[in-house]
Amino acid sequence: MDLLEPTREAFALLLRGDAELLQIIWLSIWLSLAAIALSGPPSVAFGFLLAKRRFPGQRSLVVVVQALLSFPTVVIGLVIYLLLSRRGPLGSFELLFSPTAIVIGYMVIAFPILVVFTVSAVQGADPRVYETARSLGASRLRAALTTLHEVRFGIIAAVVNAFGRVVSEVGCAIMVGGNIAGLTRNMPTAIALETSKGDFAQGIALGMVLMALALGINVVMALLQGEGGLK
Amino acid sequence: MSPVLLQAEGIVRRLGGRRVLDGIRLGIARGQGYVLSGDNGSGKTTLLRILSGLDAADAGVLRFQGEQTLLPRYPDAWRLRAVYVHQHPYLFHTSVTGNIAYGLKARGESRARWLQKVEAAMDWAGVREVAAVPPQKLSGGEKQRVAMARAKVLAPQLLLLDEPTANLDADGRRRIIDLLASLCAEGVSVLIACHDRELIELPGVQRFHLENGKLL
Repeated sequence: MDLLEPTREAFALLLRGDAELLQIIWLSIWLSLAAIALSGPPSVAFGFLLAKRRFPGQRSLVVVVQALLSFPTVVIGLVIYLLLSRRGPLGSFELLFSPTAIVIGYMVIAFPILVVFTVSAVQGADPRVYETARSLGASRLRAALTTLHEVRFGIIAAVVNAFGRVVSEVGCAIMVGGNIAGLTRNMPTAIALETSKGDFAQGIALGMVLMALALGINVVMALLQGEGGLK
Repeated sequence: MSPVLLQAEGIVRRLGGRRVLDGIRLGIARGQGYVLSGDNGSGKTTLLRILSGLDAADAGVLRFQGEQTLLPRYPDAWRLRAVYVHQHPYLFHTSVTGNIAYGLKARGESRARWLQKVEAAMDWAGVREVAAVPPQKLSGGEKQRVAMARAKVLAPQLLLLDEPTANLDADGRRRIIDLLASLCAEGVSVLIACHDRELIELPGVQRFHLENGKLL
C-alpha cells in the first residue's frame, strides 16, 4: 500500500482547512469538553468523599469504581443504547443518535477515571492539610476545597486523562451517536469509517490531529505542574 | 464572666487496647498560659487534638464558655474559638500572606480588614522579611512562626500548640519562646505540649504533667 500519497493528501486537507474536517474536529473537542465539564465536579466530589469518609462498604465501592476503569467502552455504549432506545426506559427523551447521547456516554467513561485519580490524589495528600484548614475555622466544604487545591496536580492529571480517553473513544460514540455526518461524527468514528472505505487521507489527517491534541494536552499539563510535577 | 474558659472531665482515649488518656480532668482559665509535659507517647498530642476537635475521644465531657458537649461530639462553632498548631505546621501552597489570611477569609472578613490584621501578625511574628519566599522553602523556625501568626491573627480564645520548639535551632527556638512569652503576657489562653525545659519554666505559666494516661 502506498502511504505517501494519502499522507500528502492528509497534510493538504489540514493546511487548506477542509470544512468537513474542521467540523469533525470541533465536534470531538466540544463533546469531550462538555462531558468532562459536566462529570468533573460530581466525580471529583465523589472521589474526595470516597477517600476521606469512612463508611461500611467503602473498600468495596473503591474496587467497583476501579473495575469500571477496565470496562469496554462498547459495553458502556450498549447499556446506554438500551436505555436510550425507543423501547428503553429513557426512550421518550429521543436522545439516541444525538450529540447528547455521546456526551452521556463520555460522562460514564470519564467518571471512574476522575474518581480513581481523585481518590489516589486525596489519599496521598498530607493529612495536616484538612486538619489545619478545619482548625483555622474552615467549614468542611472549604477544607475539602483547600485539600483539592493542594493536590491540584493530581486533579489536573485526572481531567487530562479523562479528556484523553473520551476524545479518542470510538466504541461508545459509534453505538449511541450513530456516526451521522455533521451531527455525531467525531474524530475516532470518522477515522474508523474512512479507513473502512479505503479513504485514508481523512483518517490520517484526523489521526495526526488526535496525536497533536494528546501531545499538546500533556505539554500544557507539564507546564501547569511546574515544580509540582513528577520528580 | 466565668474565669474558666475550658473544662474537661473524664476524657478517655483508647488506642490498641491501651488507655492513652484515662479520665483526664483539667480546667483552662481565661488569659492563662499552661504547659503540658510528659514522655513521648504519654498522650500530650492526643489530648490537644481532642481539645481542638481534630481527634475523637471515646468518652468525656467538654465545657467551653459554659456550653457543654458530650465527646466525641465537637461543635463546629468551637473551631472558631480554639486553634491547634501542629508540631510540624503545614503551610498551604500559597503565599505567606495567603497562609496567614486563610482563617480570616474562612470567617468571611473583608479584604481591607484581613490585610490590616495580617500585616500586624506578620510584624508580631517577625516574618515580614520572608513574605515573598514560597512557604515550602522556609526554614523550620520560619514555618513555625508563620503558623503562629496564622493562629494568632484569628484572636482565638484558646491556642493549642504541639511541641512548638521541637527540632528548631537555637535561634529559631529562642524566637518561638519569645513569641510564646508575649502571648502569655497578652493574656491569651495557651496550652503548650512540650519537652522544652525553658518553656516548662516560663514565668507565669501553670504546669500539667501527663503520666500513664493520668494528669498530674
